[in-house]
Amino acid sequence: MKILIGLINGMISGATPILLAALGGAYTYYAGVFNIAMEGMLLTGAFFAVLGSYYTGSWLIGVLLAILGALFLSLIFILFAVVLKTDEFVTGIALNLFAVGATTYMLRKIFSVKGVFSNPAIQPIPAIRLPLAENIPFVGEILSGQILMVWVAGLATILTYFLIFQTRFGLRLRAAGYNPARLDSSGVPSSRMRALSLLACGVLCGLGGSFLSLGYVNLFAENMSAGRGWISLAAIILVNGNPLGIALISLLFGFSDGLGLLLQGYRVPSQFTAMVPYIATLIALYFYAARKRRLNSA
Amino acid sequence: MTNNPTLIEMRHIVKVYPPSVLALDDVTVDFRRGEIHSIVGENGAGKSTLMKVLYGLTQANSGEIIYKGEPVHFREPGEAIAAGIGMVHQEIVLIPEYTVWENIVLGVEPVNWLGKIDRQRARQLVKQKIDEFQFNLDPDARVESISVAARQKVEILTLLYRNVEVLILDEPTAVLTPQEIPQLFAELNRLRDGGHTILFISHRLEEVLELSDRITVMRKGKKVDTVPASATTRQELARMMVGRDVIFTTRRKPQPPGEAVLRVENLSLREDHGRVRLNNLNFEVRAGEIVGVAGVEGNGQFELVNTLMGIQKPTSGRIFIRNVDITHFDILQRRQYISFVPQDRGKMGASLVAPLWEDAIMTHHRLNPRFSQWNGLLLNTRFAQQFTRDLIENFSVVAPSPRAPFRTLSGGNQQKVIVGRELLLQSDFVLLDQPTRGLDVGSMEYIHDQILRIRAEGRAVLMISADLEEIFLLSDRILVLYRGQLVGNLPVEQTNPQEVGSLMLEGQVQSS
Amino acid sequence: MRQKILNALIGIVVALLLGAVLLLLQGYDPLATYEALFRYSLFGYYPFATTLRNAVPLVLPGLSAAIAFASGVVNLGQPGQLVMGALFATVGGLYLDLPPALMIPVLALLSMLGGLLWAGVAALLRRFFDMSEFIVTLMLNMIADFFTAWAITEPFKDPAAFSPMTPQINPNGWLPKWGEFNTMILFMFAAVILAWFVFNRWKAGYEWRITGQNALFARLGGCNINRNFMAVMLMTGALAGLAGGLVVMGGPHRFIRGLGANYAWDGVMIAIVANNGLIATFLYGLFFSAIQTGALGMELITSVPNEISQVLQAVLVLVIVASREYLNTFVEQRAARRRAREART
Repeated sequence: MKILIGLINGMISGATPILLAALGGAYTYYAGVFNIAMEGMLLTGAFFAVLGSYYTGSWLIGVLLAILGALFLSLIFILFAVVLKTDEFVTGIALNLFAVGATTYMLRKIFSVKGVFSNPAIQPIPAIRLPLAENIPFVGEILSGQILMVWVAGLATILTYFLIFQTRFGLRLRAAGYNPARLDSSGVPSSRMRALSLLACGVLCGLGGSFLSLGYVNLFAENMSAGRGWISLAAIILVNGNPLGIALISLLFGFSDGLGLLLQGYRVPSQFTAMVPYIATLIALYFYAARKRRLNSA
Repeated sequence: MTNNPTLIEMRHIVKVYPPSVLALDDVTVDFRRGEIHSIVGENGAGKSTLMKVLYGLTQANSGEIIYKGEPVHFREPGEAIAAGIGMVHQEIVLIPEYTVWENIVLGVEPVNWLGKIDRQRARQLVKQKIDEFQFNLDPDARVESISVAARQKVEILTLLYRNVEVLILDEPTAVLTPQEIPQLFAELNRLRDGGHTILFISHRLEEVLELSDRITVMRKGKKVDTVPASATTRQELARMMVGRDVIFTTRRKPQPPGEAVLRVENLSLREDHGRVRLNNLNFEVRAGEIVGVAGVEGNGQFELVNTLMGIQKPTSGRIFIRNVDITHFDILQRRQYISFVPQDRGKMGASLVAPLWEDAIMTHHRLNPRFSQWNGLLLNTRFAQQFTRDLIENFSVVAPSPRAPFRTLSGGNQQKVIVGRELLLQSDFVLLDQPTRGLDVGSMEYIHDQILRIRAEGRAVLMISADLEEIFLLSDRILVLYRGQLVGNLPVEQTNPQEVGSLMLEGQVQSS
Repeated sequence: MRQKILNALIGIVVALLLGAVLLLLQGYDPLATYEALFRYSLFGYYPFATTLRNAVPLVLPGLSAAIAFASGVVNLGQPGQLVMGALFATVGGLYLDLPPALMIPVLALLSMLGGLLWAGVAALLRRFFDMSEFIVTLMLNMIADFFTAWAITEPFKDPAAFSPMTPQINPNGWLPKWGEFNTMILFMFAAVILAWFVFNRWKAGYEWRITGQNALFARLGGCNINRNFMAVMLMTGALAGLAGGLVVMGGPHRFIRGLGANYAWDGVMIAIVANNGLIATFLYGLFFSAIQTGALGMELITSVPNEISQVLQAVLVLVIVASREYLNTFVEQRAARRRAREART
């Protein structure tokens, strides 16, 4: 039982940053932006979360700063890819490297350390205890005590689903992806929708990043996003952007994360257990490709 | 109608497409309130560009537009629509994944306070418009599931929903079957009678004469003249369009066909969901014979080309060339027997960014050992250049040098390069898919001459074309495809465009 | 050609100006900083030799990415292929004992084999299961990272070392130095020339190029798309792998943690900036290497952290690529305006 609960909790916290980043990516996916900058946005968010939390002692300001940091990347993306019409792939790659460089640089410049910055003054995002649910066996142990950002991620899933499929914003957003010329001719500039989608992506990646450095662990390490942005990209592609599908896939990756931790208990070298999420992505990709092939074989 | 007050004046419009294509050369024209005004001209005459300038889709380099007595300048279509001018493009730009009403309300959606779309109201508003103009559309149908004619109606309704007064239609009949055209014309006449102004771009003269009040003729970016439809004839319009008399007769000399080169037996292609794309085709193409394939687009032409070329595998049936069974050959193996001119130059026929010579030697580099050096490892670039220079000369291509980027050539010259490349392969069987679509008259005649030349050489030609005139001009025999079936296999002397037209539209539905 | 050079110059100037603004905002003197940056990378025998040598792990993955992208193959696996190449060369260097004249080529070939096999995994997954090489190579990067980390902590760890690293390889496998010039740069020159020759003169190279520009056209023209894909994947994997091997053989002579650094990703960026041109990739590789090399000297003199070079690189990429597309439209539009004036008169 303890193992199972540990596994589920590991799954949830492993899934949260991927889910948030992938939801952000879903907006850009529907708007027809080939956005691979989630990796850099997560990393930037993680850095600024620590920065804000350390200097003000408030996790909330940390989270807000994380959002602003990731939004800054969104703005650069918009400037180059939407306004100047630079190739989106190029912009994404350059931004990811910019994020690595800039965070490393600031880590050195501001905190005067290389590699890792951890300090007891960094205020983590609090866990939410649910007194009522706490006493329910099993379920209570999962529901209560989750970090706030987990609930935010859940809420963001539902909100994203609503926004994309029920609202005027969503209708226009998807139109920008399906056929930008149509949207343009209907009087709504598709570039505006692309820019908005990138801003949404920035906000969500900022949240995801703050969870990485103020929730998952309580420190900032160089390149700590560790490919999660890429995994979130894979998640989006695997379910064609559907927010509910993204939630499911993220949980799956979170599960493999938790599984990795569990395997360590069985003396599997930690390097191999750390590979599990990436291998899980490959396996998921295999099934995705197989299904697509079946649909296409005419 | 021809005495109505002027609504729009375009004065001295000049437009150059980068880097140096002069699309509009000092064009001055006026449109009157409540008239149907056609703009005719060949491909590339500038008719679409003129309308795009009016609509704000592209900006003129100089000139002015007076609308309702005021000078206007639309920087984007949204501004034009707001002012009451709307345009339906040649390629229909709808969102196939959306329903009819979603497409129509996009951009002006009724919403509640949450930003949630008020579906009920949106549908109702759309339904009202449909009824008002008697358009016979289902607002809840997904656009991907409705016919092309219905999609066109959605486009027009989208503009009417935004209360435009001026409707610009860019070659609307090009995508319609002959049966659907009268319905469109009736709708347009109703709109005109209701006070709308309609600008109608076309190059089909019969239609233009039937529909319009006035006609403006354009040639090579210049306006030739504006005439009342009642005061002109087809011949006169044609002469103004082309600048000389047009011969509508064939130059094909009688010639007895030889033995069969291509033989298709029981060819079928079924999709997984059971949809039949090709249904048991049987035909031959003989040496020295041109066989035209007629049919409304989407009735199996695409799949026929794909199965002949090896892009798609047929579900059953066999394909022979000179008694060699090529059904299971891969593309390269087939290329030893087939010359192929695809319908889309930029997508299938060439790389636009490559230098001309690299596009000219494709396939030859595999089949002709003179392109190889070092045991096939190296490409003999000197020979490749020589080969390209010869091709440029022999096929009258206008190009600065073999190293010029392919995209800098005009459409006609690009097509000549592709046709030249394929004919130089010396295959017995030549497959042509829309060989002259979108070309100027000069290039078109040139390519027709080449096709007749290879017929005289005794090669077998299968030509798919959406242009019935072209089919009758060149073919010895006409095949008609209808819903994946061969519904006609007619020697050209024993048929006429009317018969082929009705086969294309109704087929002779056989139970299978 | 002139336009390319103009584009590069405009891009570099604008990026350096932006960098200067960043430096000014933090209270540094941009002129002194740039002066130090280039003094310690280009001017002088030792700085120049170091720049050349540091260019090796940038140029080779850059070539790999450029060839792959220009052929329509989205191989983003250079980071993984590089460390796998490094691991293969290291393991070979630990267990083989051959005379240097044999040892060095054998280790180089081993590193190429490592990169090739790792790229081959992605190639096979694409070939037989239709799995997009884009995501697969990205995931394989992470897996290779962890795999090599394991290899140097467990089976091949130097028992005498405190942190994870292998022992030094057999000195016969060390790349000799000529003065300050490490012979690894010879491998780089050879790779650039060979890659250029294959890509531009081989028949296969012709087919790769056309496939990258228009795959359907190439396929209809009779090119063997699948075999070409395989070949490009394996060749570009080998190029990235070679970079890893050379880093080991020319530098620390062992596999230490973080050996791959950001080399391969920088290489990908360089290929993009160079618009997948091979010679341009080489030149930009040298330029980026100069920035990275000079940054270390600059830090000593001006106390500007050398990590600023990474920021500067990203800015360079964005500005050069954005200005390239702008320059094209600008040139074309100017021609159009001239034509319109002619028409009016």
